[in-house]
Amino acid sequence: MLLDGTALGLQFGLLGVGLTLVYGLGGILNLAYGQMAVMGAMVVTLTMRAGLPAGWAVAVGLLTVGALGLLLDATIMRPVYRQQGEHRVLLSLLLTLGVGIVIDGLLMWRYPIGSLGLDIGGAAVEIFGVRMRTGTLLASVISVTTGGLMLAFLRMSTLGKAIRSVIQDEEGSRLVGINPAAVRRLIFILSGILAGLVAVTRSMTSPVGVNAGIDFTILALIVAVVGGLGSISGAFVAGILLGMVSTVSAFYIGQYITTIVLLAAAAATILLRPTGLLGRNT
Amino acid sequence: MSLLSVDRLEKRFGGLPAVDGVSFAVDEGEILAIVGPNGAGKSTLLKVIGGLERATAGVVTLGDEPITGLSPHQIRRRGLAMVMQTPRSFSSMTTIENSVLGAMFGGHTGRLSEREAVARGRDALAFVGLGARARHPVGTLNLHEQRFLELARALAGRPRILLLDEVMAGLNDTELRSSIDIVRTVRDHLGITVIWVEHVMKAVMNLAERILVLNFGRVLVDGDPQQVMRHPEVIDAYLGTARA
Ligand SMILES: Nc1ncnc2c1ncn2[C@@H]1O[C@H](COP(=O)(O)OP(=O)(O)O)[C@@H](O)[C@H]1O
Ligand SMILES: [Mg+2]
Repeated sequence: MLLDGTALGLQFGLLGVGLTLVYGLGGILNLAYGQMAVMGAMVVTLTMRAGLPAGWAVAVGLLTVGALGLLLDATIMRPVYRQQGEHRVLLSLLLTLGVGIVIDGLLMWRYPIGSLGLDIGGAAVEIFGVRMRTGTLLASVISVTTGGLMLAFLRMSTLGKAIRSVIQDEEGSRLVGINPAAVRRLIFILSGILAGLVAVTRSMTSPVGVNAGIDFTILALIVAVVGGLGSISGAFVAGILLGMVSTVSAFYIGQYITTIVLLAAAAATILLRPTGLLGRNT
Repeated sequence: MSLLSVDRLEKRFGGLPAVDGVSFAVDEGEILAIVGPNGAGKSTLLKVIGGLERATAGVVTLGDEPITGLSPHQIRRRGLAMVMQTPRSFSSMTTIENSVLGAMFGGHTGRLSEREAVARGRDALAFVGLGARARHPVGTLNLHEQRFLELARALAGRPRILLLDEVMAGLNDTELRSSIDIVRTVRDHLGITVIWVEHVMKAVMNLAERILVLNFGRVLVDGDPQQVMRHPEVIDAYLGTARA
């Protein structure tokens, strides 16, 4: 159960990171985030059914959501970037909510009762004397690798530092010669890919409903809030923690109550530590 | 030919002019000091030149190319770097990381390899005397050191012209002297043209070869220090109200 919790937590973490990165752009909350995730998993499933090998299908799926992120940045986000402060936050909420509803509508119209499952899950394997399902194992390996790569990229590479600089102080980044528009584009692509990846790894362990978009968004929001909105490492830590909480609570109390427990955790964070678990934004 | 020329530049904020038809030019290798009372429009003038604020009228030319209306990153890539009045280093990063960002993105020589950018960032830090503080977080630097870091970050991009906005405010005498020295070295040894907005008169008289006085967004006088100091309107408008 502890391993299951960690596996889930890593995915929560990645989910939160994708949302929190975009939030760093002056408070933009992407409420279509979960729908983007489902889109990614959907494309993977469809391309696999069409006969593509799993690896390729995943690549196609992730590229599709990355492109969707790019599209959002180039179209609907344009007027958002022109606003500052509260107006930027509000406009982003309304517009992305709309996008989410449209994606939801399209998916449910085309695939009314569909649920997506990548069939890797079944067999159990044994590592270090612990039995784990292949799906869980693979999902964890993918999540750990991606998480590690993301953190290394943001902390160590100059491009990653450019991303952090725009999040920290947009005008300051202009002063250094960074083009914030290019960084925003990159962030939206990365965020889309992360969302898609999490939906794919989730579907390796349990089926993901076509209508799961809003659940992903809520979950990402909770993780990002507990980690401190805008804090990347915070989102990771919060994800792992909440993954454990969620697994334990789902086991002893039940799935429905678990959502409430998670929401309560987010609310408590805002009340007790408004800047999130790690305290300061990075 | 002049390196930078500003022609009837104007910036209005909601109808009120902050910069009101300013014209001047600097030659390659000059140090031009811009002085004037608080609110005269000095910072706004620099921001408009650097692309951080959009001009409402007028033209800025760098080399032989008009740069009015370009974004700050485009202007930086053409060799114009700027240090603002309040330090804007990235506090979550170390000194060297800040400097390397300036080298990587603020250069006018095209895209650099990571290794080259690090080398240039390091050189710039050493130049301002912060070489030993490379791995320290920005938060551990005092105001004087933060200003030097900003200078290093600007220099790391190897600009042709450097704009400085009141980088000597709030420094003690020793710090002031080292700042004056370094600005002079920037010009003498690196061959970089400097436009330097300053409130500290002692520093201005010590360093400037040419002074432009701004008042209510307009050029009052533009000439060598003796000329400027003798100007009756300067004595009234500026020196009469100066704090320094
Ligand atoms: N962003 C802004 N919005 C409105 N007014 C501004 C803005 N920036 C500067 N001003 C105004 O423009 C004038 C010049 O300011 P500034 O350039 O900062 O002067 P200085 O640097 O010479 O002290 C001031 O009256 C100031 O209030
Ligand atoms: Mg000023």
